[in-house]
Amino acid sequence: MTQTAPRTLDVRPELRAGGEPFPRIMQAVASLEPGQTLRLLATFEPIPLYAVLGRKGLAHRAIHHGEEDWEILFTPEASAAPAPPPPRPASGGHVGDGAGWLAPKQSLDNRGLQPPEPMVRILSALEQLAPGEVIEAWNDREPLLLYPELEARGAAIQVRQEVAGVRLLIRRGG
Amino acid sequence: MTATSDRLSRWTPAMFACALVNLGLALLLAVGGLAWPAVPATAPVSLAMVHLLTIGWLTLLMFGALFQFVPVITSRKLPSQTLPLLTLIGIECGLALMVGGFCALGRSAWAGLLLPIGGGLVIGALLVGGATLLVPLAAKRPVSLSARFVLAGLGFLLLTILLGLSFALALTVPATVPALAPLLADGVAYHALAGLGGWFTLTAIGVSYELLPMFMLAPHERGALGAAVLWVGVGGFLAAVAAGVAATVWPAGWLAALEPAGRGVIVLALGLYLADVVLLYRSRRRRQIELHNRAAIGAFVALGLAVLLAVGAVATDRLAALAPSLVLLVLLGWLSGLGLTQLYKVVAFLSWLSRYGGRLGRGPVPLVQDLVNEPRAASFFVLYFASVAVAAGAAAFGLADVIRAALAFALLAVLLLAREYARAWRAVYARAAPAAVPRSPTIPGPEGVPR
Repeated sequence: MTQTAPRTLDVRPELRAGGEPFPRIMQAVASLEPGQTLRLLATFEPIPLYAVLGRKGLAHRAIHHGEEDWEILFTPEASAAPAPPPPRPASGGHVGDGAGWLAPKQSLDNRGLQPPEPMVRILSALEQLAPGEVIEAWNDREPLLLYPELEARGAAIQVRQEVAGVRLLIRRGG
Repeated sequence: MTATSDRLSRWTPAMFACALVNLGLALLLAVGGLAWPAVPATAPVSLAMVHLLTIGWLTLLMFGALFQFVPVITSRKLPSQTLPLLTLIGIECGLALMVGGFCALGRSAWAGLLLPIGGGLVIGALLVGGATLLVPLAAKRPVSLSARFVLAGLGFLLLTILLGLSFALALTVPATVPALAPLLADGVAYHALAGLGGWFTLTAIGVSYELLPMFMLAPHERGALGAAVLWVGVGGFLAAVAAGVAATVWPAGWLAALEPAGRGVIVLALGLYLADVVLLYRSRRRRQIELHNRAAIGAFVALGLAVLLAVGAVATDRLAALAPSLVLLVLLGWLSGLGLTQLYKVVAFLSWLSRYGGRLGRGPVPLVQDLVNEPRAASFFVLYFASVAVAAGAAAFGLADVIRAALAFALLAVLLLAREYARAWRAVYARAAPAAVPRSPTIPGPEGVPR
């Protein structure tokens, strides 16, 4: 695998000064070479950015170095392991989280999204699965309003509270 | 009407509708000259108006919201969807009897029958509603900050009920008068403080700590500041109410000193809360604030003004003269203002969920924001808060006619907003602009079957 050295963008001074570094980050993303990783240094974990850059095919890995000191690596998904939290094979056929479920076909990071967006994303992804297939989703909170919708569609869900958020595994019924 | 299945708290929309009717009736009594400011605040019809506002509007609104949101913040279901209906019926029937009883007060012996029966019904309904909420609140560990505020609020609701019960006994059962007379003379302020402060304000703070971060994408964890607001607030309201009530019965020096100390602590708690609200707005990750949270700034300003006015009134020994302004700012500006603004989002959200929940992912659905017309409603919120500001200002100078005129405009704003809630509930705007919903070619599968 060819690797270009990561490009580092430190937005901490700008954030401390009360600035809005989003345009600079998007500029840096646009100027990445194919396969190049963006190393972002920020004062907080930029959770909303994960969804934005996720749509651009960038997986993220966050490292918390200390108070107001975060390092996030945005890596093109084609050239790296799938998005953490826990990387796992993206192909079917492997045993997922207990109960004989398949490994998740897709991982959605819904943290930092305004309701009802997490639910809309999960149900849209679910409808594209074949029966028995599984998706993983990370939410800020337990999706109580989602349960009746899953029940109505015959889908099953496993919920686990973790430090980084609520991890959901959802399996299409049928 | 769409079937709501178990997506929604089944009776919450009905509770919101009844609450709005009660708010309209209360304002109508004031505007029509039957209640304060045309007659004294202690006149029977004024008491009817106050209870329409506090029980009929705010308490019903609060219970409707809590039946929907306590399951969300605790991830636990309510034990029953019938108990909220009993709460609604009990509050509405009991309140109707109470209003009748107040109107009969001093004119007919019926008052002695209607007030205790009505009050008893309301109390029973509130206990049923409170117990229904306690089941999920008590089961969930750890208890979130919002849940702690709601639990504290329910505790103060109980205290408010007990104080109200004492007045009801003193007003209607002559044998109890000797024991309760001192309370009747001085205790109304503490009944109001426990109700407006402990029950409504603490609960509203808890709900705001849930709703504001959710729709502005601000940090949910409020840290030490949020915890300080809770404990300082609970301590302040408890000290002021308990010491104040106790001092009416046992006039001890230290009790008389504890009560103003408690009021000082309340000021501190509300100051901390408003500072945290400013932090919350500043730390939001959504640059664009939706209308309900833009308009809510009016409610926070009203709370801030009420705190400043209370401090100034005590400092200049004009509390009695400025009490009407203070009550207007708290009741209509802060509590009703927050309620009306948050309803704007909540109604649209619940309507969207019940209408389109079954179709999500299977075809195009409108956005929640497609169910509202923010530019239109924005002017109604401006009208509402401006009217309340004028009414509160006029109350400081005892200008009864100006207050009534201002409240007439507040009533108009409420009616216009109620029409907007109804439109969101019936998805009028979404149907008017179906072109705003592009069909996604990437999502296969049949259209959802409406349920």
